[in-house]
Amino acid sequence: MLETANLTKRFNDHAAVNNLTLKIGAGEIFALLGPNGAGKTTTINLLLGFLTPDSGEARVDGSNVASDPIAARRKIAYIPEQVMLYPRFTGIENLDYFSSLGGRKRSRAELLELLVGAGLAEESAIRRVSTYSKGMRQKVGIALALATEAKALLLDEPTSGLDPAASHEFSQLLRKLADDGVAVLMATHDLFRAREDSTRIGILRDGELAGNYTAEELKNVDLEQLYLEHLAADPALSEGKTESQK
Amino acid sequence: MTFSIARKEFQDTWRDGRFRWAAAIVLLLLGVSFLLARQQVEHQRNEREDATKMERDNWLNQGQKNAHAAAHYGVYVFKPVAPLSVFDRGLQPFVGNTVYLEAHRQNQAAFLPAQDATSMRRFGDLTAAACLQLLLPLLIILLAFGTLAGERESGTLRQVLSLGVRPASLVFGKALGLGGALALLLLPAAAGGAYALSGISGMDAAGEESALRLCLMACAYLLYLGAILVICITVSALAPTSRSALSILLVFWAANAVLAPRLASDLAQWSHPTPKMADLDADLLEARKQALNSHNPNSEAMKEFIEKNRDASGKLPANFRALLMQESERQTNLVYEKHFGGIWDLMEDQDKVVTWAGLAAPLLGLRSASVALAGTDFTHHRHFSIAAEKHRREFIRMLNNSHGASGRELWEKLPPFRYQPPSLSQAVSTAMPGLIILCLWLAGGCAALYVASRRLKPS
Repeated sequence: MLETANLTKRFNDHAAVNNLTLKIGAGEIFALLGPNGAGKTTTINLLLGFLTPDSGEARVDGSNVASDPIAARRKIAYIPEQVMLYPRFTGIENLDYFSSLGGRKRSRAELLELLVGAGLAEESAIRRVSTYSKGMRQKVGIALALATEAKALLLDEPTSGLDPAASHEFSQLLRKLADDGVAVLMATHDLFRAREDSTRIGILRDGELAGNYTAEELKNVDLEQLYLEHLAADPALSEGKTESQK
Repeated sequence: MTFSIARKEFQDTWRDGRFRWAAAIVLLLLGVSFLLARQQVEHQRNEREDATKMERDNWLNQGQKNAHAAAHYGVYVFKPVAPLSVFDRGLQPFVGNTVYLEAHRQNQAAFLPAQDATSMRRFGDLTAAACLQLLLPLLIILLAFGTLAGERESGTLRQVLSLGVRPASLVFGKALGLGGALALLLLPAAAGGAYALSGISGMDAAGEESALRLCLMACAYLLYLGAILVICITVSALAPTSRSALSILLVFWAANAVLAPRLASDLAQWSHPTPKMADLDADLLEARKQALNSHNPNSEAMKEFIEKNRDASGKLPANFRALLMQESERQTNLVYEKHFGGIWDLMEDQDKVVTWAGLAAPLLGLRSASVALAGTDFTHHRHFSIAAEKHRREFIRMLNNSHGASGRELWEKLPPFRYQPPSLSQAVSTAMPGLIILCLWLAGGCAALYVASRRLKPS
């Protein structure tokens, strides 16, 4: 469903993503771990077609992102760290607008059902989103993924800043989407959520996939230790870790 | 998809308190300008109708006198008020509205309304045209500067583009939505304009033509405002931040509304310099001295004319005096035609320079089209001056050929001055360059917007 083959993106001399090959099938949740600057967001931008790769290719359900970004995006739902909505519109109006842009025009009742299904209270759905918390915005983002019937979901630090309850609720929704056959790529720092939710975990370091594990393989492994070991292989990051531990 | 975007943009704009406040202010100013203009036009109309009637009475009741003395007594004719001056006063405050018709002399229209104005005039007139030409573009800038740059900053642009929206659909949808919100604002303005026009007495006679002129003016303003709108969205699409978009657009507004008219007028004066009034008067006086003057029996021209008209026996024809006065008029007319015609041609050439400078600033193209269609431009003024002069020549010819008749019977033979303004087709032909310039701005703006959409970056 979501594929990258030898995907490379350079900014000047720095390779933000280097030779990245990934394959995320329908129903899979792939957590992409890595420190800041490891290339997680660049990978998402390449999958969205917002950046053009220097070499390699990215595909979404068979559509080549570089040559036909519109077709590829039509199959994707994207939830950034902070879902941005139009503050003068209610939750339902925002969903109506975004869903029609995604090519799915839905009735008001359907939209409300989707928002409630994503965990938003009915009275909140008809309130202007200027009053929404971050968690409520993320729920609108999930509802949008449901509304557009996206085949792939790209998440960029989706649980950052959410309280544990909201984070848990978000994870449940994510698993529900995966159960419906959506391929999920989640860039995150949250090791706990990654372990809880993912079917596979990749560790990105300097734009390269330093590790790629199934949930089964990680069952009896200390993920934090494994993550730090991978980072320790990078001298600069290793020093950084030591400094922070001091 | 474009329609969904347009609908959302329309609703979002409508819910924006800044838009409602700004729209209310613009509407208020438009309403006040229409009311003031309607009062003013009505007042001017009544004043000129009364003056025309009084002048006719004076002419008919001037008593018994020599026909040539009556020609020197002369008559005043008054320029009718253009109904659409309620919308755009154009040159009207700066050109005269009354012409004194007398023997031997072609007078220029006198009594400029601007002469009676206070020093506040230098800040400009509050007219509907000024509101639409200067204030509405500011409102459009306020509405549109953040339309894409702001969305980029807030992150919604990224969200929108991630859904597979074509950038061209997005930018043109936004243009449609904002255009719709502006149209909502313009509808009451148009209704106010129609109300102001309908209330002016005497509109019935030229009502249909005025309505057509008004429709064409509306097209010119829509082209102008449309061009401004697409320029604003283009800048918003390309500018890195909404603050920089706002700065660029305010500079554009100042260049278009303040700088360009001044520069274009300097350019016109430089390319087609008009002589100073004192020089023109001196030249005219000199040329008139060379021409035959029926009141100067010792001039060379008079001697030549007398010799030319003697028959073989050396006698002058019985109607020599009439011939002399008519020839004197003919020669004087040629002098005025040459001098005033030259100056008027220069002024029209200057107008053309200013109009075509509209290729650099759309306001100049709009102003040219607007005043031409409102009937308040220089071409209309020249048309009136020529009509008044034609009437003067006919009036003098009739008096010169009166064969000694005089008195009320003769005075009544002189028909009152009835001015027929240029037809719609003439006005359209004058307005055409301005309309073409506005079309070019809109087409260029749309092309630029399309190019900007292809370069649209989500962050």
